[in-house]
Amino acid sequence: MNKYRFLTFCLLAVSLLGIACGGGGDEAAAPTAAAAPAAATGSGAITGVINYANGDPDTAIGMDADPVCVGLHAEGAVTEQVVGDEGRLGNVFVYIKSGLSGSFPASADKVVLDQQGCMYNPHVSGVQVGQPVVIRNSDPTLHNVHALPTANAEFNKGQPFQNMEFEHKFDTAEVMVRFKCDVHPWMNSYMGVVSHPFFAVSGTDGSYSIENVPAGTYTVEAWHETLGTQTMEVTVADDAAAAASFDFASAG
Amino acid sequence: MAAPKKTPDRHYDFTSMNKWFAWSSLALLLITVWMIFEDYAKPWKRFQAEFRELERQELAQEAEAERQRIDQDEIARIQAEIESEEARLDEQRSDLDELQDRLADLDDKVYEADVDARTTKSHLDTERFSYDVAQQTGDADKIAAASLAVDTRRATYQENRIALEAFTEQRAQVKAEIDRKMAGLSEDQAQLIALQGGLEALESRVADLGKGLDYFLLNAPVMDMLEPNLRIDQVQLTGLYQNINFTTVDRVDRCVTCHVAATRAGFDEEKWEEPFRSHPRLDLFVSSSSPHPYTQFGCTTCHGGLDRATDFARAGHSPESEEQKAEWKHEWGWEKQKYLDTPILPAKYSEAGCIGCHAGNVWTPSSTTQDTGRELIMRMGCYGCHKIDYPAYTDLPRSGPSLERVASKTNPAWAYKWIEAPRDFHPTTWMPHFFFQENIEGELNEERQRAEIRSVVAYIWDRSEEVSYPAPPRGSSDRGETLFDTVGCTGCHLRDDEANRDDYYPQFNRMHGPNLVRTGSKVDPGWLFAWIKDPKAYNPETRMPSLRLTDQEAADLVAYLMSSRDPAFENLTLPEVDGEVRDELVLTYLQGTQTIEQSRATLGSMDDTARDVYLGQQTITKYGCFGCHNVAGFEDVKPIGVELTEEGSKPIHQFDFGHIHDVPHTRQDWIKTKMLQPRIWDHGKETVKDYAELYRMPDFGMSDREAEAIVANVLGFTKESVVTARRADQTPGAAALANGRKLITRFNCQGCHLIEDIGQAIKTSITDPGLWPPNLAAEGARVQSDWLFEYLHDPGIESMRPWLNVRMPTFGFQDGDVNTVLSYFAAREGRDAFLSEPGRPDQRDLTVGQGVFAMLQCAKCHPAGPVDTSAGVSAAELAPSLLLARDRLRHDWVDDWIKDPLSFVTGTKMPVFFSQLDDGSYSSPLAQGIDLPMWRGEKDRMLRHFDSEAELKEYLADAEKVTAAMRDHIWWGLKRGS
Repeated sequence: MNKYRFLTFCLLAVSLLGIACGGGGDEAAAPTAAAAPAAATGSGAITGVINYANGDPDTAIGMDADPVCVGLHAEGAVTEQVVGDEGRLGNVFVYIKSGLSGSFPASADKVVLDQQGCMYNPHVSGVQVGQPVVIRNSDPTLHNVHALPTANAEFNKGQPFQNMEFEHKFDTAEVMVRFKCDVHPWMNSYMGVVSHPFFAVSGTDGSYSIENVPAGTYTVEAWHETLGTQTMEVTVADDAAAAASFDFASAG
Repeated sequence: MAAPKKTPDRHYDFTSMNKWFAWSSLALLLITVWMIFEDYAKPWKRFQAEFRELERQELAQEAEAERQRIDQDEIARIQAEIESEEARLDEQRSDLDELQDRLADLDDKVYEADVDARTTKSHLDTERFSYDVAQQTGDADKIAAASLAVDTRRATYQENRIALEAFTEQRAQVKAEIDRKMAGLSEDQAQLIALQGGLEALESRVADLGKGLDYFLLNAPVMDMLEPNLRIDQVQLTGLYQNINFTTVDRVDRCVTCHVAATRAGFDEEKWEEPFRSHPRLDLFVSSSSPHPYTQFGCTTCHGGLDRATDFARAGHSPESEEQKAEWKHEWGWEKQKYLDTPILPAKYSEAGCIGCHAGNVWTPSSTTQDTGRELIMRMGCYGCHKIDYPAYTDLPRSGPSLERVASKTNPAWAYKWIEAPRDFHPTTWMPHFFFQENIEGELNEERQRAEIRSVVAYIWDRSEEVSYPAPPRGSSDRGETLFDTVGCTGCHLRDDEANRDDYYPQFNRMHGPNLVRTGSKVDPGWLFAWIKDPKAYNPETRMPSLRLTDQEAADLVAYLMSSRDPAFENLTLPEVDGEVRDELVLTYLQGTQTIEQSRATLGSMDDTARDVYLGQQTITKYGCFGCHNVAGFEDVKPIGVELTEEGSKPIHQFDFGHIHDVPHTRQDWIKTKMLQPRIWDHGKETVKDYAELYRMPDFGMSDREAEAIVANVLGFTKESVVTARRADQTPGAAALANGRKLITRFNCQGCHLIEDIGQAIKTSITDPGLWPPNLAAEGARVQSDWLFEYLHDPGIESMRPWLNVRMPTFGFQDGDVNTVLSYFAAREGRDAFLSEPGRPDQRDLTVGQGVFAMLQCAKCHPAGPVDTSAGVSAAELAPSLLLARDRLRHDWVDDWIKDPLSFVTGTKMPVFFSQLDDGSYSSPLAQGIDLPMWRGEKDRMLRHFDSEAELKEYLADAEKVTAAMRDHIWWGLKRGS
């Protein structure tokens, strides 16, 4: 009889233990996501020149559809796809595609995308995730800013009045986000949204310079609107500029 | 041998009995241990324990990452602050203690006062009742006494309440005082929790999943009957039944016992392998917020399999390949469950599980393979020969063209060559190959088939009405080509000899009509001209609509279409047929109803033509041509194929695998093989079976995935009864949606329009998105049903975008069809199909609306009159004319659309002028623009209706008012002729 009592006691004890210890596994809160500590910028740099062989010239834009636009261009306007001095290519977006570690807080400096003379200015630009972009209409006519991202949310805002502006921040890195104006089909702009401050757009002399790069080995990508992308491995040392020049050629 | 020693008073030997007893006890013990061990070592326990450990490791890693992330300095700082704060509080300990005592004391007092008040209140209610009773008696004394009692009690209640409120107030003050003193500490503690809380939660979960003593005790053999961590996880599905041995029982699903992570999110990375993966698309399936929560639908309802099984080998898992089967056999002792009628559907066919509940809903949301299969069944016309008693496949017209007047269209020699091998002429055609198949090879059989084809042609031409058409006017092939590419033909037709049906998978819209390559070698130009001008005149039942072509346009198109030719299909002659072979076939048919002697006599009485026509009629009966074509004389003949309504439940032993041994004996493999090689089961029987008994199912030239898409439907055609209340097609609006979708596939609306994000096949020939036919998202919210009714009947009446080349064709819909479309769009948007006319707004709103319409420069894109596309304005950039707004648009749509166009149509060119703010309201830019010099005229006009400029600006800053005014202007002000 004693044995049974002992066994019952054991079972009871174990079951109590079970009740006390069981459960509780599922309802714990998920860890809260937060940004990793900011990584430091460095003292290196990446510089280079974008060369362009057998280049096609930009073509003229007919703005007849909107008399206001015609009035703003006494000498006519051209597409800004291949701007650049002889043998050089401007409007190429160059950025560190991979190889960085840590995160970089978004700059609070505002990047301005202006609609001026029925053209986007600048035609190619870059911005950090979370950095404010101010989109302005400097023309006395209706423009609409239609962003066509794939990773970020689409937006399409009308700006009927001169000097209207609004601010937008992109949530996700995306190279490139295209902007168009549905009223003026020739208006296009491209913005590279990246998660760090290491990007640049080549000037008309084809040169670009990415500053304050921490030492390390990176994959750098150069993007052009019609000529595609090219990548290069670049090793950056402290206090020195690593060279990364790209050669683009038109298909023709 | 010595005599056994027996105890004198026993009949048996005690020692030997003890031995027996000892051995059998030992055996029993061993068996019991073995039994307990077997039970303890069930494979599902291994899975659960393994997953538990994997999850613990995962969480431990996360916790480590979290630890790395947390700024330890910050924590140290806060902890130091907490300490100093505590030290400070310690100094005031006596004050604090006293406050705490007072709080406790007041808590008691509040409690007592509350009880008093409640008690008094209930007494008061009783006394009020007594007063009522006294009133009934009419006794004045009793009434007076009762009234006094009520008054006294009411006074007491009042006192009680005053006391309660006073104590409550005091308590609040003391509490506030304590909170104030503790505020610094609480804040620091909250900060610490915010910093460390995530980590602590993770750590506690890691600890929970660890294997401490309690884990071993709880899961030990025998002990595990109490509260084990590892246990069978089951859900009882009321209202969903399973047939087990002729008994209908509730389903009880236990799948998640092993598929531990199926109902949980976050286990979908590559590294998680079955059974430790999350179910895909938890937004749609399994999760409690999805339309198919696990607790209501379980797993086997859709996937099949044995609901109660907790053993891999017995659950009815179906291997995807022979390799997998071998692996399973080796690793899990898997074998086919012979007595399980519904094994788990292999993953590639799992969508078949949708059909049980979505039978009427022909576009099962988010099911892709199955939708493609459903479309293939409709396009290939399977339902013509096989009855499929689901709404999606009933009341459909025949899938092929009518042959009642085919003699006017083409010639017999072409028809012969076409029937012989349709894909030689049109590589993408849905018309299958009936002849020269694997089970009818050999010289004699070939001769028989030639006789059959010739006789079919003879019969059709014998019965066909022949109309002769005048030659068409002269046209330009170049203009015809442009027209072909832009007017709308390409939404339904290809003209491509290289096209391969499989390259277009899963969008077959451009194969809705025939591939128009080689048309010049097929049809009579006069017929073609008449046909494209008015298809319904030739065949009233045709799906081909009229594009309202002018004579010149039609002539140009004819010139272009007739320019595609192939000499191999021209100047053909009908092949000669061996008369004896034909007569032998005729005799075979005659002998079906006559004696041998009679049949010979009948044959003798028939001339050559009569024999051909008779054989043609029998051959059409044999192959069931009338399942897909209107054939004169076959109007009411029953289809020839096996009914497929319950094919997915047909027992496997009823499938004829013939002498084929390398096809696995499963439903899916049989059906798929049948799709790809329809005559395969005759293999080895060709000489034994009579010619007429051989399999007749034609070869559709299916690709592997086309066949699988069809199998993913046929497997779902089951007997399985789902209670009506649980069926998706029983929900309100489901019938409207299902009928609409069926009609949309029937008329190929998605060849041109984007509907439910599918379609616009025409964009392959019209590259500029601005020139595409419209996206019909939100159509039910956008247009008035009255207008749509008129428009669908006659799209020629007026056009929203007259500058486009592409035209909405005239389909010649019946009223019923049009109403199906209206109900479909209304159901999509959850709106009533009809609205009442709104009242006319006042002049002030109209004036503001007109001004704002000008200021926002709406007319830049929405032209208010004819458009001169030569003046630099690109047709592709223009938006619909608003002159039709009042007739066409729903009144409530206009301002909704202006406020937030992107929420209705993704990618629309219509910009947002009134940005939505965080609180959901909309901002207006107009107060800002009104002061610009260029809008002075508008401002002056508007000001006439306002007392002050401030009042006007207030109006303009209100997005709701402004958009309503714009709507009113568009609705009332832009009406044509006003």
